[in-house]
Amino acid sequence: MENVKEIEFKVAPEEKVKKKPSFLKPWLGLKYLFKKPVTIKIPYEHTQIAEKYRGFHTLNWKTCIGCNMCGQICPARAIEMTWIEGEKRAHPKIDYGRCTFCQFCVDVCPTGALGHVEHYILTTEWKEEELELFDWVPLPEEKVRKFKDYRHPLAKIEHLEDGKVRYILRDGEAVEFRILGYGLKPPAKPRAEEKKESGEEKKTE
Amino acid sequence: MVSQQELVKEARENGMELLPLEKDTYELFFGPQHMATENYSLILKMDGNRVVKAIANPGFLHRGFEKLAEYRPWYTNIALFLRVCVPEPDVPEAIYSMAVDELMGWEVPERAQWIRTTVLEMARVTSYLFWTMGMAFKLGVYTAGQWAAAYRERFMALFEELTGARVYHIYTIPGGVRRDIPGDKWLRQLRDTVEYLKDKLKDFDNVLFENYITFKRLEGIGVMDKKFALEEGVTGPNLRATGVKADVRKLDPYLLYPELDFEVPVLKEGDALARVLVRRFEIEQDLYILEQLLEMGPPSGPYKVDHPALKALPRFKVPAGDAYAHVESSKGDFGAYVVSDGGNKPYRVQLRGPSIAHGIRVIEQLLVGARLADVPVILVSLDNCPPDIDR
Repeated sequence: MENVKEIEFKVAPEEKVKKKPSFLKPWLGLKYLFKKPVTIKIPYEHTQIAEKYRGFHTLNWKTCIGCNMCGQICPARAIEMTWIEGEKRAHPKIDYGRCTFCQFCVDVCPTGALGHVEHYILTTEWKEEELELFDWVPLPEEKVRKFKDYRHPLAKIEHLEDGKVRYILRDGEAVEFRILGYGLKPPAKPRAEEKKESGEEKKTE
Repeated sequence: MVSQQELVKEARENGMELLPLEKDTYELFFGPQHMATENYSLILKMDGNRVVKAIANPGFLHRGFEKLAEYRPWYTNIALFLRVCVPEPDVPEAIYSMAVDELMGWEVPERAQWIRTTVLEMARVTSYLFWTMGMAFKLGVYTAGQWAAAYRERFMALFEELTGARVYHIYTIPGGVRRDIPGDKWLRQLRDTVEYLKDKLKDFDNVLFENYITFKRLEGIGVMDKKFALEEGVTGPNLRATGVKADVRKLDPYLLYPELDFEVPVLKEGDALARVLVRRFEIEQDLYILEQLLEMGPPSGPYKVDHPALKALPRFKVPAGDAYAHVESSKGDFGAYVVSDGGNKPYRVQLRGPSIAHGIRVIEQLLVGARLADVPVILVSLDNCPPDIDR
């Protein structure tokens, strides 16, 4: 250990680092009794949320090309591709029970379809149907941004017959679609239909 | 009735160890529910009020980070490694990114280097304030602890504005940083915060660091020998408190540190008081460094490398080879050794955390002969980070 060459650098003089004990000085802290507290009264007061806070996702259904880049980069494997009737490509379904809000999925999205808003409140009243809300196909930005209180935009998810799902927003607006299946490959039945459609299109061209 | 020998044999077969009972001592489980230990536990053998033997009992936060990293793409691992040290998540991000930069042969843009240095210094201040809170609470000076928590909040707000999250920033990535500085307003806010905290340090001195209770409590307890500290591989403020001149920022300069002017505090005593005073001086120096960085101003230019591989992150590949990068965190020398076999996932990532050096063997030695009331104080004066020990 003696052979190690020491590199010389600036060291603070000892008297600068050392302190002297004092009996009277601690009492100076009493002046804070007459100052305004830094704490705020929630829910009557609010903190300001940063403009680009990483919160809930938004998805532009028109520009999403179903490339599954988001699913590949997700560190928590929270993204599942979902096939929806009427949409040519699969859309990501995000499970907030697993999501770490790293927003790498937003970074990698090649078309910019997946985005995020600063809304972040994940608390529920511990009801089964409320927990279900946090496993959703994100809606377009204007529908999520309508609500200014940073809470999740959905009020209820209704499961109708033959795979139909109805998302009811907190202001009563409803979005209805049918989920055909999950996974990277399109489900078997609609695949045949799609082929027919695409074949017909080619013929007409 | 089973005999004692049979019990010992049975335990050994199942991979356990039975400790013999002694008449004069009793066993005390200290933590993990004790406030001072934070997800860490000690088994103390006590003789009255004195500790006869201390056994570290870590492992409550084991998540196998290094193994998990081998199954995830290069960029995804950033969201994993910052969980290794929660009070300063930017350090694991930075070392991993610096190692990958070296493997890729990337020259990080000047603006990104400035942002990385600023973020690392801000992380150090935040971490020291968090530690001040813990130390003040253990000493019973709750006033100063609550101030530290409140002032840390100001830095958290700045981090929120810059990175988009309060605690888990996920900000430093290989090739630069994820977002640019939000604008001049943010720089002004940072300058205001630094000046504000510099002003408030006097109050901290008055109430906590120059308080005679602090001196009465800390002087001469948990004394660490210089030779012992070097043998165990202790780094950071704990080593500096034993009289060794060591700081990664000076010995192996990285980022913008060669251009910055700052002093390194070194004390000879090696007791809990020396460790506390060294850390107090570090806060002052970190604020001074931040002031210098703000005076320098962020250089113009891109904030991350422009490379075609960054367009498709899941398929991002790193050429085969290995690299090591380390920085000076608030707890000590934090390093990452990254090995790549040319694939889209790392072959192996090894982290060298500072806490494992002073969190297990050293604490077991320092606690021998200490009073029970001093156990939390010695533990917090070492400033160990339980998730870093367990990993």
